[in-house]
Amino acid sequence: MTPDILWAPFSEFAFMRRALFGSVTLACSAGPLGVFLILRRMSLMGDAIAHGILPGAALAFWLFGLSLPALTAGGLVAGLGMAGAAAWITRRTGLREDASLAALYPISLASGVLLLGLAGRKLDLLHLLFGSALAVDTPTLYGMLGTAGFSLLVLMLIYRALALDSLDPLFLRSVSRYGALAHAAFLTLVVLNLVIGFQAIGALMVVGLMMLPAAAARFWSRRLLILLPLAALIGAVCVWLGLLLSFYANLPSGPCIVLLAGFFYLFSVVAGPVHGLLRSTSFPMTV
Amino acid sequence: MIECHGLQWGAGGRALTPPLDLQLTAGSLTAVIGSNGSGKSSLLKVIAGLDRPLAGKITCEVPLMGGVAYLPQQQHVDRQFPIRLAELVSAGLWRSRLGRSEKRIRLHKVLSDWGLLDLQSQGLHALSGGELQRALLARLSLTDARVLLLDEPEAALDDVGLRLLWQHIERWQREGRTLVLVSHNLAGLSHHNCDGLLVARSGCIKAPIRQFADERQRLGLVA
Repeated sequence: MTPDILWAPFSEFAFMRRALFGSVTLACSAGPLGVFLILRRMSLMGDAIAHGILPGAALAFWLFGLSLPALTAGGLVAGLGMAGAAAWITRRTGLREDASLAALYPISLASGVLLLGLAGRKLDLLHLLFGSALAVDTPTLYGMLGTAGFSLLVLMLIYRALALDSLDPLFLRSVSRYGALAHAAFLTLVVLNLVIGFQAIGALMVVGLMMLPAAAARFWSRRLLILLPLAALIGAVCVWLGLLLSFYANLPSGPCIVLLAGFFYLFSVVAGPVHGLLRSTSFPMTV
Repeated sequence: MIECHGLQWGAGGRALTPPLDLQLTAGSLTAVIGSNGSGKSSLLKVIAGLDRPLAGKITCEVPLMGGVAYLPQQQHVDRQFPIRLAELVSAGLWRSRLGRSEKRIRLHKVLSDWGLLDLQSQGLHALSGGELQRALLARLSLTDARVLLLDEPEAALDDVGLRLLWQHIERWQREGRTLVLVSHNLAGLSHHNCDGLLVARSGCIKAPIRQFADERQRLGLVA
């Protein structure tokens, strides 16, 4: 494969460049968020929230049509609302947070589908769930760049609190009041990335871009400061190669990107130096 | 240093003991003892401000944030978290305003004090229970807190670790810090000069620890 083959589609077509820049920057912010989701034992939360944003996005679509700010605001409110409602139910009733999320997201999904039906206009649900990176227009690209930049900046600011809150929440609470704030900011970033991502590569595909590189990175390093950029790098490379595969094989872009990330994850499970199947001599403790 | 008036704590709105009045002076060492489930750790969390009391009031001369440091039990720490021992210990400098090089010097000294220099690059997953406990105590040592609340500090420590722990506890006392620790090791505690606070459903009793050691059979502290 020559360098020309690896770059030609992007130099030739503006829509490919937009898809590449947008999705790579999104991968760079979604990957580190995925690492923290895993460390905080919230791996399935991304999936639940991706469904949770649907009613907000559907309502925004019903009222305002395909407007980027309206879809973003609607998705954000619905996603944060669902995460907040799950946390509230957990705090008030003692039901585990994963259980209350699992109970709420089918409600959100069903409400979203119903709202789309009531809207009466044609918006393909498949497009909303699986999206198309190749349909990224300039405003969406700016939205993705802005979201990624904002996410990385906030993540840098809350990094220490978030890490210590994941490692030893009681100690953090004894030295700082910022644990709860860091958690809330982190959840907001997760929702924001999912919302902006669902418009570009689809609500479910962006969960793959968030979790698969993060899960794969865990098989290559035991250091948080390496895991975070590594997850971003894996995601970015999968976006690039996935778009090429999509272009040359004439396949949908979202699944190509996520399936490549999936293949790399499976490769990491087998060959990764940290508890990979080929390196492991004993069954490790759960990570 | 710390005063509790009519303090009640517990889970699910049910108080574990009758109201407690307690005064802890600067430089004092109080060992909280009692049977499993009596509410020893819960009392520590309430004093640390991590849980709310059901009733009563706690007044503390120092601010909770920065003035009071808390050593949690090991199970609250995620052993698989991908950081090194030195990074865990350095969290004790969270509120420190020292410069980077001064922080590094303090960290090095504390690691040396707790016999952890050779382990500083180890991941948490590779540490034994005793090594992790020493790391948590080293992290506590780095705080400048005037009140130290230690939940089962002796857990998993070997003889060397226990000797280091008690050397530090005596030093902290000399520095005028107020110490409260939860312990099940009544026999070990009786070798040290400290007060005991028996936490029990029928009520709390504060007395010199040796008195509890002498009467442990009657108080139901042994099988």
